[in-house]
Amino acid sequence: MLPRAETAHWLFAAGFLFFGLVVLAEAIVGQAVFRTRTWRAYLWPSLALLAGAWLWLIAIFSTFSTLHLVAHSIWAQAATAAGAVELARVRGRLHSQYWSLVTAGALLISGGSFLVHEQNGWLFARSAFLHHLIGWTLVVASVFPLGAALRPRRAVWLYGFALTWVAMAAMLFADRDVASIFGHLSELAGGKP
Amino acid sequence: MRRGVFAAVILVALVLPVAASAHATLKEVHPGEQDRVDAPPSEVSLRFDQSVEAPPNAIVVLAPDGRTLSGPVSQSRRGTVVRVPVHGAVGGQAYTVRWRVVSADGHVATGVFTFGVDVAAPPPTEAVGASGMTWRDDVARWALFASLALMIGVVGIRLLVLPRAVDPLVERRVYLLGTLGAVLALNAGIAGFVIRSANALQVSGADLLYADLSPFAESTRFGTAFLVTTFGFGLCLTILVVAWALDLPMLRWPAFVLGLVLVWGYPLSGHQATEPNSTVLTELADWVHLVCAMLWVGGVLTLAVVVWPLSGDLRRVAFLRFSRIAVALIALLLAAGTFVSIERLPELDDLWDTSYGRTLLVKIALVLVALAWGGFHHTVVRPRLERGESPPGVGRSLLGESVVALAVLFAAAVLVNGAPPPVDTGPTSAASTPGR
Repeated sequence: MLPRAETAHWLFAAGFLFFGLVVLAEAIVGQAVFRTRTWRAYLWPSLALLAGAWLWLIAIFSTFSTLHLVAHSIWAQAATAAGAVELARVRGRLHSQYWSLVTAGALLISGGSFLVHEQNGWLFARSAFLHHLIGWTLVVASVFPLGAALRPRRAVWLYGFALTWVAMAAMLFADRDVASIFGHLSELAGGKP
Repeated sequence: MRRGVFAAVILVALVLPVAASAHATLKEVHPGEQDRVDAPPSEVSLRFDQSVEAPPNAIVVLAPDGRTLSGPVSQSRRGTVVRVPVHGAVGGQAYTVRWRVVSADGHVATGVFTFGVDVAAPPPTEAVGASGMTWRDDVARWALFASLALMIGVVGIRLLVLPRAVDPLVERRVYLLGTLGAVLALNAGIAGFVIRSANALQVSGADLLYADLSPFAESTRFGTAFLVTTFGFGLCLTILVVAWALDLPMLRWPAFVLGLVLVWGYPLSGHQATEPNSTVLTELADWVHLVCAMLWVGGVLTLAVVVWPLSGDLRRVAFLRFSRIAVALIALLLAAGTFVSIERLPELDDLWDTSYGRTLLVKIALVLVALAWGGFHHTVVRPRLERGESPPGVGRSLLGESVVALAVLFAAAVLVNGAPPPVDTGPTSAASTPGR
């Protein structure tokens, strides 16, 4: 019943890459040019909502431990909250720049959940290493929407946010359930003593 | 200086997890979970994705009468496979396997599964040593019912009762309550599933975090209902927030209809589907009972916390419209509830002789209070509103009725989690556990 973990990760990696490139394009050409076609403004909130719905599907396939089930449900709710708020901002239902704090909180909570749900050490295997790296990346990346809430005119926040997702995609594409990292694989994971 | 401290904190935080070791996940068991095997197995083995430490009681194989049939534990050279010999198993019986190993990170991984020798194995909720429902299950079930009253009830009443154009404040609060209901339904569902699994696993605290819940998700009715409703309510949540964010009120219809369909998951995994005398009719009656209850409670809540505090203009029309629909809802609710009660308690004295019957009596008493309250609103408040008057204290009275309605939902939660008395349907029948 369970799909391979890598399959789900690579699917999300593809989505994150697209997501990151969309935001990067907006950062490079500027919001005014990017949103000359209205639908482009809806791209990233829609992708976040889609990721939220997909994560519920992943959550129900993650019953092999309570921690995984709860972690995936937290990511699903975080993605939905961020997507909904950004969609409402694009539509004009929400106006305050401080709504970006919802996205910052979503990233922080998601990163924290990533770190807690990974039960292995950094150098146990590649997937464990990447989970730690992804967790800390998300925690640190929460500074970008936080900055956008406090200093909305600076473009650096959007660049940072975009590159976060490109980096996330690279990390998830590199994910394997049990594979070596830096030539090292824990004995516990099947490495040679 | 401050930057240096910050960098040091980050460095320590990044390095600390390196000290943690690995956590094992169960990959394969033999015999398989809920497998029906032809002959008694000579051993039971578990394969993990990494080496584990197996204490002497790492695997315990239990006969239906609770006897231990397993011998001393042994491990493969790499430590990834743990096995025990099995002595004294015979055909025609189902056996329980409880396992508990320690990962290299010190966390305990644990689980339970069953297999049958020449007989179908029961679900893990009926494993030897599994406990029944506790107050935690009742609270989780009540939270689920209350959140469904928000998600389905409030949104449904908005669509079915309130006029198309309403005050934006009213609209915003309906969205807020509906979305809150969806979020709570998802989390209450997860909590209920985990608590129910913990009863069978007999673990709590940190051990529960690393427990294997997949046998419950994959081979029990309540697990299947949990999987389907969790994904479905996730979709409902997404649709509701899109409807709000894009100001597309028509999208509330698919969320509402999907919610109604998903509620069917509870009759399908409860007494009305698992008891020996269950039929499609009992499942349908249970679904009608649940849906009417959600709409009734949602309607009272909508009047009490949305319409009355926010829109004086809407009070009269909302109250009168809801009064009309409430009569039909209550009639259906009582008819369906009476039918399933008679199916579960065919003898009148079961009402006071069994705990299920006594819980039902408490629920009926609360329903009577709620009906009396609603009857007061229908016969006293409604005519005054029809005459164009503004009777005082209606908002507080509606809040009081809401509290009673939520108490009825709690009694319903206890009832759903309780075990009805066995029903005599012939020599081969046997009562089943709720929500197998």
